[in-house]
Amino acid sequence: MLDDTKKIFIQESEELLEQMENALLEMEQVPDDAEHLNSVFRAIHTIKGAAGIFGFDAIVAFTHPVESVMDNVRNGIRLVDPDLVALLLKCKDHTANLVESISDGQEDISEALLEAGQTLLDELNPEQKSGALDVVKNKRENIEVSDRKNASDDNWVISLDFKSDALRNGLDPLSFINYLKRMGEIVEIITFTHDFPCWEDMEPESCYLSFRIALLSSASKEEIKSVFEFAMDDCELRIIPPRSELEKYLALLEELTGEELNKLGELLIQVGALTEQELSNALQVQSSVLSDDAATQEVKPLGEILVEQHVVSKGVVDKAVEKQESIREKIAQETQYIRVDADRLGQLINLVGELVISNAAVKLLVEKHDLADVQEVVNGVEGLVENIRDHALQLRMVQIGDTFSRFRRVVRDVSKDLNKDVELVITGGEAELDKTVVEKINDPLTHLVRNSLDHGFETPEERVAQGKPKKGVLRLNALHDSGHIVIQIADDGAGLDTKKIRKKAEEKGLIYAGQELSHREILRLIFEPGLTTKDTASNISGRGVGMDVVKRNIDALRGSIEVDSERGKGTLVTIHLPLTLAIIEGFMVGVEKERFVIPLSMVEECVEMDTNEWHLDKNSHYVNLRGQVMPYIKLSEFFGVNYQHGRRGRESLVVVRVGRAKAGIVVDRLFGELQTVIKPLGKVFQGLKGVSGATVLGSGDIALILDVQGLIGLASAKASDVKTLESV
Amino acid sequence: MSIVTRELNGVHFFEINDELTIYTAAMMKQELQDLLSKQDELEISLEKVSDIDSAGVQILILLHQQAEKKGKALRFIKHNRQVIDVLETLNLEAFFGDPIVLPAKEFEYA
Amino acid sequence: MNDLAIAENNNDPYGLGGVVMDDAYQFLTFSVLGKLMAIGILDVKEIIEVSSMTRVPMTQNSIRGVINLRGNVVPVVDLGARLGSHVIKLTKKSCIVLVSLAFHGETQTMGILVEQVNEILSIPEQNRQKPPDFGTDIDSKFISQIGRYEDDFIILLNKEKVLCVEELSDQIVAAQSSLCVYK
Repeated sequence: MLDDTKKIFIQESEELLEQMENALLEMEQVPDDAEHLNSVFRAIHTIKGAAGIFGFDAIVAFTHPVESVMDNVRNGIRLVDPDLVALLLKCKDHTANLVESISDGQEDISEALLEAGQTLLDELNPEQKSGALDVVKNKRENIEVSDRKNASDDNWVISLDFKSDALRNGLDPLSFINYLKRMGEIVEIITFTHDFPCWEDMEPESCYLSFRIALLSSASKEEIKSVFEFAMDDCELRIIPPRSELEKYLALLEELTGEELNKLGELLIQVGALTEQELSNALQVQSSVLSDDAATQEVKPLGEILVEQHVVSKGVVDKAVEKQESIREKIAQETQYIRVDADRLGQLINLVGELVISNAAVKLLVEKHDLADVQEVVNGVEGLVENIRDHALQLRMVQIGDTFSRFRRVVRDVSKDLNKDVELVITGGEAELDKTVVEKINDPLTHLVRNSLDHGFETPEERVAQGKPKKGVLRLNALHDSGHIVIQIADDGAGLDTKKIRKKAEEKGLIYAGQELSHREILRLIFEPGLTTKDTASNISGRGVGMDVVKRNIDALRGSIEVDSERGKGTLVTIHLPLTLAIIEGFMVGVEKERFVIPLSMVEECVEMDTNEWHLDKNSHYVNLRGQVMPYIKLSEFFGVNYQHGRRGRESLVVVRVGRAKAGIVVDRLFGELQTVIKPLGKVFQGLKGVSGATVLGSGDIALILDVQGLIGLASAKASDVKTLESV
Repeated sequence: MSIVTRELNGVHFFEINDELTIYTAAMMKQELQDLLSKQDELEISLEKVSDIDSAGVQILILLHQQAEKKGKALRFIKHNRQVIDVLETLNLEAFFGDPIVLPAKEFEYA
Repeated sequence: MNDLAIAENNNDPYGLGGVVMDDAYQFLTFSVLGKLMAIGILDVKEIIEVSSMTRVPMTQNSIRGVINLRGNVVPVVDLGARLGSHVIKLTKKSCIVLVSLAFHGETQTMGILVEQVNEILSIPEQNRQKPPDFGTDIDSKFISQIGRYEDDFIILLNKEKVLCVEELSDQIVAAQSSLCVYK
């Protein structure tokens, strides 16, 4: 059954069932109140009729006997007693269940539901009970047979709601319906009376009429529409085609060839699913939402309007849209969004950031003055502020898919230029991250993709010679991992030549000849300035500026980049990036009087250091943490902190994790978690490693945010210098 | 007056003796309202309804609903052919629930 | 300073807002390394007292730290360390002169830490001359002109050179990598 029909039917039935229930509940109090009796009768009668029109046989089968009982009650043949009212309420519930099962999309009513319906009907008609199930079944079958004509899917369903001025404008709805009879057989018609005004409010010359009509006709939609041509301005008309007609549209759409797929509206008219009038109406709606600078606005797609207006069923539109480019569909989705100036969002996020700081300041004061009663309120506010912050940041989150998709063209063009055959496979495009981050990774990603195409992939001939598939595969993948987004660029190309990298690095003096380096360390050398393994520079990449720039860009985003490669198998570049640049969940530590913030997502645990147990000496910078050897950085030494009054208290070890590596940072004090706004340190500090930004504390003081990765890099550089000198 | 009144055995019997259309709707509403407010049980003959359109049907529907609401017994009787056609077209016979008796002559025709 | 309207307020303790003379001849003078120096009044955004300053580790001495200026983080250059090798000792008189300069199309605000801010002087063109090629213990690239006021010589600073973002940034990188070499 069609979505549209369902929706109309379900909505109307729900309203009617509610009326029915209210009336039944009133009847419990006043059993023989004619108004309520009639109300119940009308509700069930209308539901039956509508079910017939829309072709829901099971509902017709159940509501018909109920209606009969109500008719008897109304005519005084049967008396109302509380038992009957209770039973009718059950019948109402059962009808609701049936309606619900339709809205759930079930084509067939479940056996259990049918059984329950029969039981109710038996109770309703006790005298027939002796005949048992068969009688009821027969009866149901009869109804089904007799209603077959009504219930068939092959009726046009016409929904006709006249506007209140219709009569004054000289229209007589009746005459349209009479005229409609010429088009075919009116199988069923429902005149809606349940939302008429009360007598006092009724204006005799206003029109309150609505109809639902099932029409059996071989006429086209355009022809049926023409019946109401003069009433167009004064009524809401929806024409829902029968299923066979729908199938016809779909078949026609299927058959259409490419060049005819330009305009959705024309397409639908072509197959007869849409009339010219409907199209121009919809286009009017479409153009009315456009403001003056139409060029910059997203236009609501026609198909969506048509579906909204119930002019064409969604299935048909979808089919048409599907026929069009997939981009089309995307626009339809995007229009569900409000477009907001990025600057305004930025302002909002900045303000929220200030709010976070101010709130921290208030909290500080409250703690200082020990205001217990205020504390509670402040905590409440804090929760709200956190919520607002999260939501504000969420506003700026975009899916990375769009960024990835842009590379389709790059891959296609570049691989063509290079006579390579490469397929791009994109996964994880739905992973979200801050728009400001997205904007900044485009360049590094382009570089990496081009690099891969240029250096990574072999020519098809080479690939075949090596027993690889002719077509290379470049994969772009994104996933979320503990507060970070991970982006992977993988190719199944030649892989990096570590010997070559080593040789180049030695030539450039980046490493000493014969220096002992792990596979990973050698690979990491490609991020050093001035290193390229390509013998000849091409215009695609490889003038020795490249990976180091990529790394710098990623570093600037507080991210990290890793490369893994196996000769002959391919290369995998993994980038870790924070989801947002604006706010950080941090862990604050102190060294002497200075305070530092470590991104919380990197903090694994904190351990109090017992000097007796830990045996820290100045020469070895590692500890034994539960059997694991872990290097550590003593922040006070590393940062050259001057202790004015000597060191007090016990030090703590903050265990941080970067990718697969773990390290310890030794600090004097732990202040705990805080959420804080990241402030850039400014251009002067852009080359500074180990510190990625600053944050303003509630007190107005500045705390520096540690770039853990950078720190570890610095520490290992220091350590390797030591090693190198020792080995020389 | 477009509505003629008669009384038989305490039941008031009225006969609409005019068209029941947009042109008379306002007047009809007023007159029928007056009737309804005065009577507790009434039968309205539709035999002499010379013409009926959607506006007229609306009036009948609303009068019926109002009568129910006020707990009054209202029956439409003696539907003429045109009225029957309209009620049939709009599938409203069941709504009113009044027994529709076809005039004998017409019945023979049919 | 007598002829200046002095507006007492924290952000503007020297009444710079009230300057009525021809601004192009106006210089804010201050003392560093026992010398009188000055920058053009038009370059000065604000003068603030040194309250709380945060040290940035692993940087050279000329980067004194960062301050919170109404929610923004502003780097502060120690003028003593920048021009000579004397880190300025913080006293009650120490001040930070805030200067804004264009960097790659963006406005960057930087602070200059000085020992003491003196006064605003009017030094007309005829009282200014090119710096001598040698003879000063300050790198001549930092000096745009030498001004004369009564019996005093005043070093008029070239703010673009003193606060050169690229140079300071390179120095930071150099300072940091020297830290990582085994000493």
